Amino acid sequence: MSLSAALNIINSAFVANAGQSAVISSNISNAGTKNYAREIANLITTSGGGVQVASVGREANAALLEQVNTSTSQAAYQQALSDGLSTLAQTVSDSSSVTSSSGAAANGNSPSAMLANLQSALETYDASPSSTSAAQGVVTAASDLTQSLNSGAAAVQSVRETADSGMTSAVNTVNSLLTQFTSVNATIVSGTATGADISSAEDTRDSILTQLSQQVGISTVANPDGSTSIYTDSGVTLFQGGTARTVSFTPTATYTDGATGNAVMVDGVPITGSSSPMAIQSGALAGLANLRDVVAPEYGAQLDQIANGLISAFAESDQTGGTAPTLPGLFTFSGATGVPSTAATTGLASEIEVNANVDPSQGGNVNLLRDGGIADPTNSAYTYNTTGAASYTGRIAQLISATTSTQTFSAAAGLGTSSSLSDYANSSVSWLQGQNQAASNQLDYQNSLVSQATTASSNATGVNLDTEMTNMLTIENSYTTTAKLLTTVSAMFTSLLNAV
Amino acid sequence: MASIVSTYSLGTAMLSSMAQAQNQLTQLTAEASSGQYADLGLQLGDQSGYELSLRNQTNLLQSLTTANSLTVTNLETAQAAIDSMRTDAQNALTSLTSITAGATGAASSLQSAGTNALQSLIASANVTSNGQYVFGGDNTGVAPMADYFSATTSAAKSAIDAAFQTTFGFAPTSASAANISSSQMQSFISGTFANLFSGASWTSNWSSASSTDVTTQIAPGESATTSTDLNQPGFQQLAEGYAMLAEFGGSSLSSTTQQAVITAASSLINQGVSSLTTTEATLGSAQTRVTDATTSMSNQLTILQTQIGNLDNVNASAVAVQLNSLSTQLETAYQLTAQLQKMSLAQYLPV
Repeated sequence: MSLSAALNIINSAFVANAGQSAVISSNISNAGTKNYAREIANLITTSGGGVQVASVGREANAALLEQVNTSTSQAAYQQALSDGLSTLAQTVSDSSSVTSSSGAAANGNSPSAMLANLQSALETYDASPSSTSAAQGVVTAASDLTQSLNSGAAAVQSVRETADSGMTSAVNTVNSLLTQFTSVNATIVSGTATGADISSAEDTRDSILTQLSQQVGISTVANPDGSTSIYTDSGVTLFQGGTARTVSFTPTATYTDGATGNAVMVDGVPITGSSSPMAIQSGALAGLANLRDVVAPEYGAQLDQIANGLISAFAESDQTGGTAPTLPGLFTFSGATGVPSTAATTGLASEIEVNANVDPSQGGNVNLLRDGGIADPTNSAYTYNTTGAASYTGRIAQLISATTSTQTFSAAAGLGTSSSLSDYANSSVSWLQGQNQAASNQLDYQNSLVSQATTASSNATGVNLDTEMTNMLTIENSYTTTAKLLTTVSAMFTSLLNAV
Repeated sequence: MASIVSTYSLGTAMLSSMAQAQNQLTQLTAEASSGQYADLGLQLGDQSGYELSLRNQTNLLQSLTTANSLTVTNLETAQAAIDSMRTDAQNALTSLTSITAGATGAASSLQSAGTNALQSLIASANVTSNGQYVFGGDNTGVAPMADYFSATTSAAKSAIDAAFQTTFGFAPTSASAANISSSQMQSFISGTFANLFSGASWTSNWSSASSTDVTTQIAPGESATTSTDLNQPGFQQLAEGYAMLAEFGGSSLSSTTQQAVITAASSLINQGVSSLTTTEATLGSAQTRVTDATTSMSNQLTILQTQIGNLDNVNASAVAVQLNSLSTQLETAYQLTAQLQKMSLAQYLPV
């Protein structure tokens, strides 16, 4: 051992100190960065007894990160669903219910509330059947009801269009993230092979994965060469062997009744929709696809069933015992040639309208409500009030009971097949608000999971400033001591040289 | 080493709890001011349809209640008209008993009693309520009783004149009427003449009313007959008695024949009064049904309001307590944030 060996060791200590300081600086400057994994300088003793920063480690925790990503996907799924449902729920907004000055409650503008208004108007008409203004009241209530159904159906299509364009931007985001991932992954693979510092590339990789899980639920596999493979939560490959798969989607700008949107494809395999063999379960894409293809159309089908129920409840039949067909009465739709069957109702809610024959604003005769003949004023077979009495209530009573008597509905709308029109309309509101509430509760739950997982992950891998400060003090002390050592060795050299 | 808390999570933990508290604060403020849940649809979920059905039922009951008050007005108008018909009939009977058959002026008194009574019967039968003829059955748009005394001879009067002419061979005003025996007169009155006041003769000459009465919904699923019509026997009997006096009372009849007319007319008017009582009783029971239905609906409305309140309303005192504790919680969070910012080693290290 010699004094020059001591100098070499002192030199290595200075270099190691600098390296450690650099790591601490990096940690401190990233204290506020989400998902930043704390770096650690790994020191080893060199053969000559000195010290050296052998490598910079990274306090990563793959399991916790996976948990963050999974809960992020679930939250994004519920967010997409909840947004769409609350838009639909606004069309039945009984949350904005106010009590009018007369004490009667205004129940928003759901078909159910409008149907109740129609029933009230019919009761009023029943008490004064010869009153034209009471008849006009019924026509106005009927027209409000058709408007409620029309706007409900329009809202369903608008939610589907919004979801479709949301899917377009989600797919674009996924593709751009996969492109970024390709280059980060290549850096990590080559860095691992050459032993370069890849900590920051790994941070970028983790951040990309979290962003990706926002759009689509993913699972990842770490490969021995440092690369990562990404699969959707349903098992479809998104990234493997250094190559990103192409995610493609053809948007549909305008939705009409019964139209189906396109599925999101990965390498030609659909990952959304009922035709998909491996449909994704979480992420914004899955939520939007569920909203567009399942939830909104189901509500639309319920509105169609209500419209169909109205048309058949108010239909007029041959009163003479003849063979004239049963035709739509007060409620009809453009191009109607008869009463549709419960199975063929697609689009009725957007087409339902008040029959022009009974609407004075369209040149009709309101008295036909009491007398019958709305279906065809020129055909006396549809006349119920054969004596022409001014206070004939037989037909009005039929109309009142038609809204409360049991009807048959299509099972496809998911609300049962047999109930009264007003019960069905109420069930539809319950269904929608129930879905809305469930999605909202799920969203709250998933959001708190995300925040818990993020906190856990951050605590395990993140930076604590106090720890870094303490480390800094240790390094500072070590630096001071090393400098003192250098002075001492230097003094020894001076004494030695002076002695010569 | 003890598990560390990262500086990032230390900062954000407080942030998210503050955001949550502020969110809740706006919601609670809205609930405190309105007394209802801030977002009913979200709060009730599956129960929304049930709540809506309660509200819809409330609206329905309210409009039925309004409609019932209209029906009650119609019923009361009809009963008042019948009351006045009965009074007129009693007056006519009183004047009949004061007339002695064969006395001087008896004929003109009889004729004017019949004419006056028939005129007021027609007026009472054609009363309206809300523009509706209450005795028209369901044909409320047309005056139910034809004007017997119209300028152009009414169908009813022509039919009576023709029947008299056919039976006796001369008009009621002819001096030959003195030769009609009381038995001849009695058989005419109870036969040919009586037939003019029933069946098709009545509905074609006297009445435009429909025999179908108005049926009205008075409560959900409950309907009642809420009017009567001019084709009831009471109206026919009164018209018959009055017309008999108006047409034959003034004829130059023998005193026995005149007495026969007085007896027949009195008997018909008496029958008419008792038939009217039956009709009025029917109307009265309809009115009771309507009133009972309204009372029961008003009870239902109270129950409905309570149920809606149970679903929609927040507990005001609970909201107030929550608001208080929430603002305390927020203040604590603010203070803690300030304290935590100070708690850093950087504050204590020499620079």
